[in-house]
Amino acid sequence: MADIADRIVEIIAKEAKLDASKLTLDTRLEELKIESLDLVQILFAIEDEFDVYVPYNDEAYKLETLRDVVDGVNRLIAEKQGEAAPKS
Amino acid sequence: MHRVVITGLGCIAAPGNDVASFWSTLKSGTSAIGPTTTVPHEKLNIRVVAEIKDFDPAQHFEEKKLLLLDRFSQLALVAARQAVKASGIKFDGGLGAETAAIVGTGAGGMNTLEEAYGRLFNNGTGSSRQVPLTIPRMMISAAASHLSMEFGITGPCFATSSACSSANHAFGDAYWMVKSGRARAALAGGTEACLTYGTLKAWEAIRVMAPDTCRPFSGGRKGMVLGEGAGVAVLERYEDAKARGADIICELAGFGMTADAGDIVMPSDVGASGAMAMALKDAGLDPSEIGYINAHGTGTLANDSTETKAIKRAFGDHASKLMISSTKSMHGHVLGGAGAVELVAAAMALKDGVIPPTANYQRPDPACDLDYVPNEARQAPIRAALSNSFAFGGLNAVLALRRL
Repeated sequence: MADIADRIVEIIAKEAKLDASKLTLDTRLEELKIESLDLVQILFAIEDEFDVYVPYNDEAYKLETLRDVVDGVNRLIAEKQGEAAPKS
Repeated sequence: MHRVVITGLGCIAAPGNDVASFWSTLKSGTSAIGPTTTVPHEKLNIRVVAEIKDFDPAQHFEEKKLLLLDRFSQLALVAARQAVKASGIKFDGGLGAETAAIVGTGAGGMNTLEEAYGRLFNNGTGSSRQVPLTIPRMMISAAASHLSMEFGITGPCFATSSACSSANHAFGDAYWMVKSGRARAALAGGTEACLTYGTLKAWEAIRVMAPDTCRPFSGGRKGMVLGEGAGVAVLERYEDAKARGADIICELAGFGMTADAGDIVMPSDVGASGAMAMALKDAGLDPSEIGYINAHGTGTLANDSTETKAIKRAFGDHASKLMISSTKSMHGHVLGGAGAVELVAAAMALKDGVIPPTANYQRPDPACDLDYVPNEARQAPIRAALSNSFAFGGLNAVLALRRL
């Protein structure tokens, strides 16, 4: 969990050219003023890093803080592992 | 200066393979969007598209000719044949040399390119030989060249490419040529056929695609849906059309174009409204004379709210009296061919006095508070209409049409 959060913070900092040491799980995405193209790059990097598909404009994912992003990615990973698990 | 009129239209797109069937589907408010049946979709996250149905190229082209034609050229030729036939124009007696052929496309021969690259690369294990006709099939100007060859048009001939405004730039350029006397007539239009695995994946990645369907201007909209198709119009001098007793569909009365010089993907209401204002001025139309706008209306959050702001900026108080619809809700986003199939919709709306609706509309969005003719066509005689195209890269092109 912590590892995933660190990797996500690293991705966001790199793609949006932000200082990773200033990002916490409570940081609000709005405050970061991420440009739309950076956002697309961030989502792509997250998908590539965790091999998941992040749905577009999905109302099930309310992303306000970095914690929401980490939780969302965890959900996607769990869903994917659920799909991959052999059906008994 | 000459008045420019449209005397023939042709189109092929998901709602119909000719003008009559296309227009009939649009008037019924039926969306032609659905799951892809032609693209391998196991790895696609976005699977809805607007595909042309029941189109067999072999029914339209000889085998030898077909070898030279990417799908985007096939569609352009099919639309052009319909337009020329409907217009009754003959390019003999020297008219071919005084006629222009201008065809817009955003991507060109994407089917050819993808097949060729797949063959070569294939994760490093591909063939070292390339299909010989790859270049003449994929080149972005191929459709324009094929139109010139098909009809013996030897005047100005080229492609325009400005992403989703490509077709409107083609119409605009052709209109100015005929208006100024540089050409006596023109075949102009747009075409796109890039419903391929690679293209769909690339659109998925930029995150503007709806997983469900295209709901322009509606609350709950989730993005755009890719379509394919082509549209072509025959443009002539008004006096020539009258002299030969042609059936005039409407006047192509004005054209406006601007560039946002802003963002490569985000639209601007200033640039878009500037193009609308310029088209009105060029046509000598007062904003209050416009009854209908065939909107760019992609169904993305950003486009539809920005376009609404732009319309208010260009039309002031008259904005709330306008009927506005996005027929992309039915034929999908035809990209470089979008303005072409939408010109057909706008011209037929003027001719028949029927406004095609915005299909798939669910509920109002506070950021889109004008009349979008939701879900049901409306009987309404109008005198003039605009057709908007606003492309990625901030390239705006707007056509003004007037009933004669």
